[in-house]
Amino acid sequence: MRRIEKVSSYQITLLIIVYKLVVTFSYIPALDSPPGNQDVWIAVLLSILYVILLCVPILFLSNRFNNYTIIEYMELMFGKFFGKIVGLFYSGVFVIFSIAFVSILVEILDSIFFPEVPTIVTASMMIASCAYIAYKGLEPIARGAEIFVPFILSVILIFPILGFKNMDFSVFLPILKDSSFVQINKGAMYFALRFSDILILAMIVPNLEKRNELNKIFLKSLFYSTLFVVVIVVASQAALGIEQAKHSNFPFFSFARLINIFDFIQRIESIFVIAWITSNIGKLSGYLYFSAKSFSQVMNKEDNKKFIVPMTLIIMFASIFFKNRRSVVGTRQPIQNILLITTLIAVLVVPLIALVIYLLRRKHFQNANNK
Amino acid sequence: MERNENMKKKIILTILIAIQMILLTGCWSSKEINELGIVTMLTIDIEDGEIIVTAEVIVPKPPMGSTESGKKESAKYVQGRGKSLFEAVRNTTLQFDRRLYLAHNQIFILSEEFAREGLAEYTDFILRDHELRETAQLLVAKGGKAYELMGISGGIEELSGAYIESLVKNIKFNSKAVSVTLTDYMRNYYDVEIQPVLGKIEKKEMTIEKIKGKKEKTTGLTIEGASVFNRGKLVGFLNGDRGYNFVRNKIQGGVIEFPTPQTSKARSTITSKILKGNGNTVVEITRSKTKNDIEVHDGKIILKTQVKITGMLGEETGNIDTSNAEVLKLLEKSCSNQVKRQIEKVIKKVQDEYSTDIFGYGKQYHRKDSKGWNKIRNNWDDIFAHAEVLIDVNTEIVRTGLVNKPSSKVKGK
Repeated sequence: MRRIEKVSSYQITLLIIVYKLVVTFSYIPALDSPPGNQDVWIAVLLSILYVILLCVPILFLSNRFNNYTIIEYMELMFGKFFGKIVGLFYSGVFVIFSIAFVSILVEILDSIFFPEVPTIVTASMMIASCAYIAYKGLEPIARGAEIFVPFILSVILIFPILGFKNMDFSVFLPILKDSSFVQINKGAMYFALRFSDILILAMIVPNLEKRNELNKIFLKSLFYSTLFVVVIVVASQAALGIEQAKHSNFPFFSFARLINIFDFIQRIESIFVIAWITSNIGKLSGYLYFSAKSFSQVMNKEDNKKFIVPMTLIIMFASIFFKNRRSVVGTRQPIQNILLITTLIAVLVVPLIALVIYLLRRKHFQNANNK
Repeated sequence: MERNENMKKKIILTILIAIQMILLTGCWSSKEINELGIVTMLTIDIEDGEIIVTAEVIVPKPPMGSTESGKKESAKYVQGRGKSLFEAVRNTTLQFDRRLYLAHNQIFILSEEFAREGLAEYTDFILRDHELRETAQLLVAKGGKAYELMGISGGIEELSGAYIESLVKNIKFNSKAVSVTLTDYMRNYYDVEIQPVLGKIEKKEMTIEKIKGKKEKTTGLTIEGASVFNRGKLVGFLNGDRGYNFVRNKIQGGVIEFPTPQTSKARSTITSKILKGNGNTVVEITRSKTKNDIEVHDGKIILKTQVKITGMLGEETGNIDTSNAEVLKLLEKSCSNQVKRQIEKVIKKVQDEYSTDIFGYGKQYHRKDSKGWNKIRNNWDDIFAHAEVLIDVNTEIVRTGLVNKPSSKVKGK
């Protein structure tokens, strides 16, 4: 019998925090979403409520079937045939997200640091590192989080302090005067729909040392990650101005470029880049690991390592294919809409159907959690 | 068997490390210093619809003390033309042997003609290109061409770029100029509530009397004043009265000079019986805080500015007793009046001549009455031009320096 890799609640909280932060760390889509003005940070804070509402079905099922991953309990809910289809859908979701993350990562690297390096080189170097980490398994990923996430979070906190003199907080005035109730809620919902990382949590449950802490992990990671997103949003808008921050492809990076303390601490965006690449590699490794794991579970295979290399190749070639055709960050549509709709289906629609099935056939699943 | 496995692993690891060595040498996107033309200053002009970019490129010098040092010039000046800024920059490679490397450029000077045509469209390249810095200073060359300023240095720095950068850093000693980076400009450019300003630069001829009555003319640059914009277009200039910096709460330092008050109260405190005529008082600003507000009374808009200055007595050439608390109060009042006059003057000039709110009173209106603002925002500049102005300045002289009476006075007489 294979040993189940065990990870602590603390490690997973850190992982989910950084997974949620990666997108904002890179290009802050919230700035462009409604209300698109000085009240964006309020919409981001409000999104906590929407994320909780959105994740209720998946959280309920993951708590109820805490011996199973989302792939496994979906098979219980939907039956063998449809369960496999749903499982394949979730595996596909992980792959789609991985492709998107590699594309964004490579785009930023290509546009800012290595404009002459062919996409295939940057993409393959990044993804090869991620594949190696994913190959080593969940425990090294979680242990890595304990080392790297505090560094990443420190960068997010220290940079706004260093760049304080570049900020003009008066840009946030007047508060809630230029945005309607609908706009704020729309923005909060839009932002909540980006929390696809609940799927990672739903895959990780059986590996948790304390499975009963699932809700605690979810709430903690959601709360802290949202606070860090607010820090990034506020710093970028205060330093660049509301409109310029919206124009910028990488606003937090642009803000980092402004930092200059007494002509002594300057051009420190390289530290930002280290933190940013680390966070991206961490997220990509996790998604790669879970896409391999979900495929292995769909195929009823014990060993998910066999799937890592094929997954890596698929993700690498697909991201190079997309990246060489269009800008992912600069031209956000239709990619962003595809990701949002995918998240909506994966996080809300399918788990909601599964929840209805569970409630209708509750007696049937009474002893189902005993593996 | 296990030994073979270990051996296998070691070989794979060695191969991987060897591959990494090839990849990590940084062959791609590498920038060799001997292939780059490091730019310290860039001027932008427009002639017949064509953009002219002129760059000051550092000439690498041998170290001091070597036989060749001192013989070479510090910079080369290279010019490129094109329909766009980027094209003009790249066209320099047609005649100059190195690609212009703009990552260290901290000064952009735009000709007056170019700035009047509209600057916003051209900032796109500066913002889009990863090599350029958003922290670079933007200045408008008043009168003439911007490229005519190339090579002028009235200071210790040999490079014009470094010289101008130092002048901008010196603003904290005088507050008579403005320091505006690309980010500062863009922040205000997008805003309806405030219009942007940029730095101003112009040539200044100086005649220095040398020994034996021989006069020598030197040319330097001055950044005194500011350039006023309405959105992307230059509409005029301000002189260096500090009024703008006071209203915008951007005073970092400097001195305020005003005639020494000669009221009867001041006279009565003078111990000397001989009055030597009007003198001047100089107060050095140690701290300045401005609060802007707006009031609407029966549809009439009042722009309110409150300035609180803390300073120290820097110089006194009048014949007054600066150790007397009442005299100091009079000096404080005179200082406040002087600043008030400067602020009123600059606001009036902007209202009458440019009709563009560069002070950000629109922001105050927006904050105070958001709904009302939405109705008037499109006519704000016009409303601003006709608004009443109320300035209140309060000065506190908290130190008098190392002496308690002016040096021209004899104590006890």
